[in-house]
Amino acid sequence: MDIFTRNLGRRTVLGSAAAAAAGAMIYPARGTFAASETPVRIGMIDPLTGTYAALGSSEVLGAKVALNEVNKAGGILGRPVELLVEDSAADPGTAVQKARKLVNSEKVNFLMGAVSSAEALSLSQAAEELKTFYLDTGGHTDLVTGTQCRWTTFRTCSTTWMLTAGNFQTLFDKFGKDWYFITPDYAFGHSLEQDYSEQLRKAGGKVLGNALAPLGTTDFSSYLIQARAAKPSVLIILTAGDDLVNSLKQATQFGLDKEMAISGALQELEVLQALPPAARLGWWTFEWWWDQPNQPHVADFVTAYKAASGGKVPSARSWFGFASLHAIALAANKAKTLDTMSMVKAMEGLELPPEVALQPNNPFYRAADHQLIANEFPGYVISNGTYPNLFHVADIVPESKIGKSAAEAGCKMTYPS
Amino acid sequence: MELLLFDAFNGLIVGFFYALMALGLSLILGLNSVINFAHGGFMALGGYLAFTLVPIIGFWGALILAPFAAAALGILAERGLIRPLYGRDPLYSLLLTFGLALILEDITRTVWGAQGLPFAIPNFLNHPLNNVYFFVTGYRVFVVIVTAIATAGLFAVLRFTRLGICIRAGNADLETVASLGVNIYFLRGANFALGILLAGLAGILAAGQLGLTPTMGSSLIMPSFVAIIVGGAGSLIGSLLGGLIIGVAAGITTAYFPSASEVVIYLIMAFVLMVRPRGLLGQEGLFE
Repeated sequence: MDIFTRNLGRRTVLGSAAAAAAGAMIYPARGTFAASETPVRIGMIDPLTGTYAALGSSEVLGAKVALNEVNKAGGILGRPVELLVEDSAADPGTAVQKARKLVNSEKVNFLMGAVSSAEALSLSQAAEELKTFYLDTGGHTDLVTGTQCRWTTFRTCSTTWMLTAGNFQTLFDKFGKDWYFITPDYAFGHSLEQDYSEQLRKAGGKVLGNALAPLGTTDFSSYLIQARAAKPSVLIILTAGDDLVNSLKQATQFGLDKEMAISGALQELEVLQALPPAARLGWWTFEWWWDQPNQPHVADFVTAYKAASGGKVPSARSWFGFASLHAIALAANKAKTLDTMSMVKAMEGLELPPEVALQPNNPFYRAADHQLIANEFPGYVISNGTYPNLFHVADIVPESKIGKSAAEAGCKMTYPS
Repeated sequence: MELLLFDAFNGLIVGFFYALMALGLSLILGLNSVINFAHGGFMALGGYLAFTLVPIIGFWGALILAPFAAAALGILAERGLIRPLYGRDPLYSLLLTFGLALILEDITRTVWGAQGLPFAIPNFLNHPLNNVYFFVTGYRVFVVIVTAIATAGLFAVLRFTRLGICIRAGNADLETVASLGVNIYFLRGANFALGILLAGLAGILAAGQLGLTPTMGSSLIMPSFVAIIVGGAGSLIGSLLGGLIIGVAAGITTAYFPSASEVVIYLIMAFVLMVRPRGLLGQEGLFE
């Protein structure tokens, strides 16, 4: 049919195009399912715009690779699986709004996603109210599986405590006891700073200062002026995403790396890739690394991901998305129902099989606080490296050794009666 | 005390950047009567175009060529989208440019990716000039100098060329200029392009300092709007002054009360609007 002969006004066309663009992006199930099977729907909420856009996009792509594998292997309960992706722009309010829309209008069975700790906390609360299973892929603050743990919420990425404990001793031994922090001013930054400070004081070190920068800060010059005036032995930068790119870039332009060590907790492949070579420095912690030659199945995931991403290697974020979607499918197939309580029970204690875990020490979702107990990959940035060989993993530290117990983290899980 | 001086000085450097954005905005607001929300989008586009051009023609070539490339796209937008809205309520063009800003942001995200990109600057600019004033890097001095040259160039164009005189006359009374036989369609187009040229230049300067992200436009546009409101809508000197004032204010506040660093520029704007509604150097009667 010739579109021009149809009686469509310009405004109608523009309007429907806008409506289509505003709707959720649905990645349809592929594979061989009977047409009569209603798909199982997973709603994924992640920042696709804003400061954390690159991180959120990696999580989504990782989940899509897993989606493909799950559907090839027969889906969930023999039904195809659909992934519905919504953009949160890392804003907690938007994230909750999208979660309600996904559950109430799109009838999704499970929720997953988040990069920012703030959105993870609000999604966790919303999911409990909606009585819907939620898997936090990448919001790190201790609170999510700590004092604010909820029966419907699980988490794949590590806690901020694990991130700091993964390399605290290394930083302290290498760079000395006078620390200065540049901290993003919300839940994630606050937890990281508290966790490092607690360990630093115990070890006999001193916090010289803590500059709180709002999320999305582009110009860090004022904070760096404060930091230098305090004369610390090490500047700990706790920002993430584009904010980490900007702060590291400006710190090295100001020559601060020649006067003090610069390091931090969470480092990511997306950030290192966006940095100019001069600003690639310091000791950090990764939560997963693509190059593990002795670990089976890792290379397969790298190959599958490269094919889906146009040549990019998977980051820790990609693995969060990948492992989380697989975990949901595994738990649902184990529960043999999509009911939230059965799903939660199936997920408690669930051990990730090697082809999903892609790391040593048998990662599992701890029943007491719903936290995945996996590994940290502390090490240093290879300063003259080329993508993707930008980080040297010095050690693989099991989180079961450094993490707090559920009781220490302050989680008292209560279930509906 | 020394720290306060550092922060004020540092803020001044940031202010120069806002001023460059505000000048272009002010130019377009004056003659075209368009509140150009897409200015940040064009700025980002200038930066990204430079990123693509650097491997081909080098940093200096890109510094000159990319702003003109952005200006060319600006002309297309003015011809195709904004022109039909002249003479209507300014709200129409405001809505249009707001939509255009979103479109430009998505275009940069689609073409260059959501991932931040590093923008390499010549190595000799990449170091502090002085050990005490360590925040005065070669590149930041370069930004100030380029801004000064661009501003001087703009004022020279407005003062000494026929085009510039027509723009200034059109600013004062567009109908009379039209009745004297000046092609005001051409004039508006040229003026819009001139404004976008400055935005494109600002984009490259920002890219060298901050790197490239699709959202760079939306995060840098609001301070520039505040700069023209504080400085006075319609006054180019006022825009320059407004940019410097909010830069210094934000710089000092960040040092002592970081959580207020974003809100302080709006407080200044509110104060100026209460005490002197047309801004520090604004024309009487414009948008009143």
